[in-house]
Amino acid sequence: MKITKDYRFIGKATPRKDAAEIVTGKATYIEDVELPRMLHGKVLRSPYPHGLIKKIDTSRAENSRGVRAVLTYKNVPEWKTGTPRHVRVLDKKVKFVGDAVALVAAETEEMAMDALAHIEVEYEQLPAVYDVEQAIKSDAPQLYDEFPGNLMPLDVPVFGPRTLSSIVLGDVEKGFGASDFIAEGTGSYENIANPLPLEPPGVIAEWSGPNSLTVWSATQSASWHRFIMLSKMGFPDIRTISTQCGGSFGSKNYSAQPMFYAAALAKSTDRPVKVCFSKEEHFGAFVLRLGSRFRGKVGIKKDGTVMAVQGEWLVDTGAFSDMAQAQIAVGLGELQLMLKCANWDINTKLVCTNRNASGVVRGFGGQELESALIPILMQTLEQGNIDPVEFFKKNYVKPGQGYYWRDGNHWVSKSKDYTEAFERGAQTFGWAEKWKGWLKPSAVNNSKRVGVGVGVHGNADVGEDVSEAYVRLNPDATVTIHACVAESGMGQRSSLCKMVAETLKLPLERVNITPPDSLINPFDFGLVGSRGTYAVGSAVISAAEDAKEKLFKMAEDVLEAAPDDLDSEDGMVFVKGSPDKGVPWRSVIGLMHTCTGFGRFEPDYSVPNFIAMFVEVEVDVETGKLDLLRVVTATDVGQIIDPPSLAGQLHGSIGSAGIDTAIFEESVLDGNSGHMLNLNMMDYKWRSFAELPRFDNTILETPIQTHRYKAIGVGEVSTSPGPSAVFMAASNAVGKRLEGYPLTPDKILEALGKINL
Amino acid sequence: MADRTDQRRDSIVLIVNDVTHEFGIGDHRYQVAACDTLAKTLRETLGLSGTKVGCNQGACGSCTVLLDGIPILSCMTLTVECDGKQITTIEGLQNKETGKLDEIQQAFIDHSAFQCGFCTPGIIMASRALLNKNPSPTETDIKDALSGHFCRCISHYQVVEALQTITEKKKK
Amino acid sequence: MKAFKHITANSVEEAIALIRTHNGKACLIAGGTDLLGVLKDEILPDYPAAVINIKTIPELDHIKKNNDGLKIGPLTKLADVVAHPLIKKRFSCLSQAAAAVATPEIRNMATLGGNLCQDTRCWYYRYPQHVGGRIMCHRKGKGPCQAVKGDNRYHAIMGAKVCFAVCPSDTAIALSALDAELEITGSQGVRNVSLNEFFTTLGNILKPDELLTNIQIPYPPKGAKQAFLKFTLRKPVDFAIASVASVITMQDGICKAARIVLGAVAPTPVRATDAEASIIGKAADGVVIEEAAEAAMAGAKPMRMNAYKVEITKTLIKRALLSIFQ
Repeated sequence: MKITKDYRFIGKATPRKDAAEIVTGKATYIEDVELPRMLHGKVLRSPYPHGLIKKIDTSRAENSRGVRAVLTYKNVPEWKTGTPRHVRVLDKKVKFVGDAVALVAAETEEMAMDALAHIEVEYEQLPAVYDVEQAIKSDAPQLYDEFPGNLMPLDVPVFGPRTLSSIVLGDVEKGFGASDFIAEGTGSYENIANPLPLEPPGVIAEWSGPNSLTVWSATQSASWHRFIMLSKMGFPDIRTISTQCGGSFGSKNYSAQPMFYAAALAKSTDRPVKVCFSKEEHFGAFVLRLGSRFRGKVGIKKDGTVMAVQGEWLVDTGAFSDMAQAQIAVGLGELQLMLKCANWDINTKLVCTNRNASGVVRGFGGQELESALIPILMQTLEQGNIDPVEFFKKNYVKPGQGYYWRDGNHWVSKSKDYTEAFERGAQTFGWAEKWKGWLKPSAVNNSKRVGVGVGVHGNADVGEDVSEAYVRLNPDATVTIHACVAESGMGQRSSLCKMVAETLKLPLERVNITPPDSLINPFDFGLVGSRGTYAVGSAVISAAEDAKEKLFKMAEDVLEAAPDDLDSEDGMVFVKGSPDKGVPWRSVIGLMHTCTGFGRFEPDYSVPNFIAMFVEVEVDVETGKLDLLRVVTATDVGQIIDPPSLAGQLHGSIGSAGIDTAIFEESVLDGNSGHMLNLNMMDYKWRSFAELPRFDNTILETPIQTHRYKAIGVGEVSTSPGPSAVFMAASNAVGKRLEGYPLTPDKILEALGKINL
Repeated sequence: MADRTDQRRDSIVLIVNDVTHEFGIGDHRYQVAACDTLAKTLRETLGLSGTKVGCNQGACGSCTVLLDGIPILSCMTLTVECDGKQITTIEGLQNKETGKLDEIQQAFIDHSAFQCGFCTPGIIMASRALLNKNPSPTETDIKDALSGHFCRCISHYQVVEALQTITEKKKK
Repeated sequence: MKAFKHITANSVEEAIALIRTHNGKACLIAGGTDLLGVLKDEILPDYPAAVINIKTIPELDHIKKNNDGLKIGPLTKLADVVAHPLIKKRFSCLSQAAAAVATPEIRNMATLGGNLCQDTRCWYYRYPQHVGGRIMCHRKGKGPCQAVKGDNRYHAIMGAKVCFAVCPSDTAIALSALDAELEITGSQGVRNVSLNEFFTTLGNILKPDELLTNIQIPYPPKGAKQAFLKFTLRKPVDFAIASVASVITMQDGICKAARIVLGAVAPTPVRATDAEASIIGKAADGVVIEEAAEAAMAGAKPMRMNAYKVEITKTLIKRALLSIFQ
């Protein structure tokens, strides 16, 4: 469906602005940045999951060749990150295997590594706890004095005083009373998978004065390292610059640990310091998904009306929390988008345990909650013999329906009705032919059973937080966008140029965007929650409109016409209808002037986006092997901005700890010693070129009226419906209720009764 | 201080992108240490930072370069063992005189066959080796040849499409 | 990577002399795809003072036909093993096994000898030094096997007592099924051992001053059929969760000779002699195949988390035999 008008750039595939640099190897990533006098920082890491440093001797390391600084908990700055603030640069207490114990800065990486071996540490080992329910028992080891019972507070200061941490509405007992089908149980999505961008995290820090810090980092949202870190570091003036970022998927929004290490070492050496994690550190000491366990009960009516959802959501954040509370808030909101229900009673516990911490990951709470809860919900649909496509279609939030969002406020959807997108996706997939009922394979070929499943997900963060932009018209008919927008793979910097080129009717090559640098750009919250198109886009477009208005005002006298009667195309200003009698921008602006417009986007949580995912899997019942055969996504984006970028975001659902967390992706934590066992790219499983499923995107373009080009984003949400859809498909394929993620051969063979675990 | 030399020789020659470089073996700047990987030498000593190190364990393919025309992992190769070898990196694909991009580089631009771009140099090098050996690979040939390349953004579909366009153009 | 001295050997004799000079403080490098991982992660308490390059020994890189069969130099790249027409034709299970190793780039670097001599992939053994320190264990000479109480999903289901790490080599399984013989050269001279004699619970029988110098594979009997199957979670990259190689000779519908070898189930490649015995002299049918698979796994003692490997191995055996019998 294409209702929108034909544009010059919008909706057309145009090369990425940085394409030539990327394909020639010239794009500069954090490891490629070399600064004069730069030192290299390395981290000594804890061998124990929980312990106290009794003694630490750094004297040999300090005298080691090329070493310029050695820091321990005794001499690091008093900075604290985390929510609430609880994570020091280095602590006397270590809380997971791989936790930082000491930092070294040296002239070369090798020298820093050599010095680490010369630091002598004595620990007092403490008992450790890894399981979320063990951790909240009264006799469990305690990670923090300030969090008794290992329970962390659920407030998110930037979300306001009413941060969503539970959903308590209506009367669940009544709801269950009126239900035809009820299922109860525990669902667990605890593979704490790693979003695993190819490039490990890295930061370079340099102090240009006692209170003036510059930070270069691989990040997807340049401004976080300024506005989130300011208060945590005692309010230095932080300038953050994003290099080209080798993938993030949420995780590199924020590199608090490497940033702390680099900044602390830079401070004590008064030289720039680079801290780039190795891949092993990336696995063992950087962002994982949240652990998610849902224990509860769901009741529905025969017609698929959800009557009550009740339960406790246990969220495991590992050794500390940066953003777990925010993910809980958003996850609870997203659940309400997916399930229309009048009676809720969901409470949440956020628990810390002795493993590498969870952080920000695409899916942001919703994927974790839904993947744990849907297996329980599935049982009600199974009892009622209800087609999940009909169920999800009926229950996804419609315009005029409401939900409580992350801020605790009630919002009413002004988005569109996604029913048609859902139906078109089902059609593309052939759902009607393939769906044979619950726990029934859609095809059987010898030992291979084929099954289908579906999932839905949406997010109202499309309009989250603030974006500001300047658009500067230059007399040579070029345009500079000032917006603090990084490039970690979404192509959004190029898409913003397209939106501005379209607005100002200029060739695309004349529009450029400033580097993601907080010093030269106004505030932008960053590329999260699919907000790039809607929030950032709206800000740059309104800055472009503002600049155009100013330009026409300036042209008033030159062209002797009212601004309203003027138009501009390809760098000429003219009276509407007389493009041949125009004057060039330089005649209007003047050679020594520029014309700058400003735009701002204010938060708006009333436009949820949507994605449905249909999957077909094949299970070999003799080996337990699960293969992904086909994926069909269905969404409605209002207006496509750049087709290949959108396709990339949707295909991305099989990367970044998405669909494959139901198949083979997991971080394996040793339950005895607390070691992360698969911290290499052989043992951590990822999908290769050799095993790509057939993949189709069904993309509708029903205009969304609140955006200049009628568009909203869907990038962030694509991973989320995948795991539960695969879970459903695999259960149907083998004809058994399965348990847990990922569905590796051991779990499937056990469900089939072929082995006993 | 451990010995970082090669007992048998004091220098090696690498021919990188048709330029011959001679390195002393040792621990000084602009020398090559015995334990230096080819990836490190290319990136840090020669400044050819287009070769990316992703996992540094030989499992992701991002450091792939051509050694005498064959795709290998530069992070799992010792530089001292490349004496006299021809090495081609992503920086060596463009036509030096005209600046024209290699057909694969151009196809990757035309199809936006990348997202974050960190895996792209390695994938392009492996693709170059494939097309040199087999100018008209099937879809399966392409996928097999690239099966050791990790792309977390999932640009696989666009990569395959870009390479298929090249082979289809040639058929015409 | 921590520093070491690098020495190029130009002959087998020189390589042996160099190892002896370094008194156990040297190691050999061929393809390097396994060794450099070991060195980068510093998984072992001893770090070599010297790395001796044997890629420069010309007589170790060849594939030659002789009267007894095929002689493959241990420095032959896996990619060359895969591409060799005679290997593809007469020693197909080796060709398939080599093709199943890792990734194309690794097969361009890794050698057949290296694939046989590579160290185990046990994740306790391989845990890197730089994320809290290496994990000590029986294989490293200190402490118990960590897999016994730990996460042993990929560990041995049979034949292990002190170390439950499995032999990771795919080509070893095929070479064992093909009844290959290995030539080992050391300061004490040359010795020949069968493939299965080569492997031990903690690795192989190579003495510190010995190296693999040839792999001799006899022609399989006329009419012999071969199969190699490897089970992994993913097609490329992965080491085997279980693998099976078999070479079976049929005559008039009756099995005359059989070699069935199992990989990744034990510290060494395992010849499933009971399974072999159970099919020899019999006509191939579903029952015989089923019995063979059961016989092969009769002695399996899975650990807490790896009973699934028993089922998978059985299935692989059945499928391998089925593909041969059909």
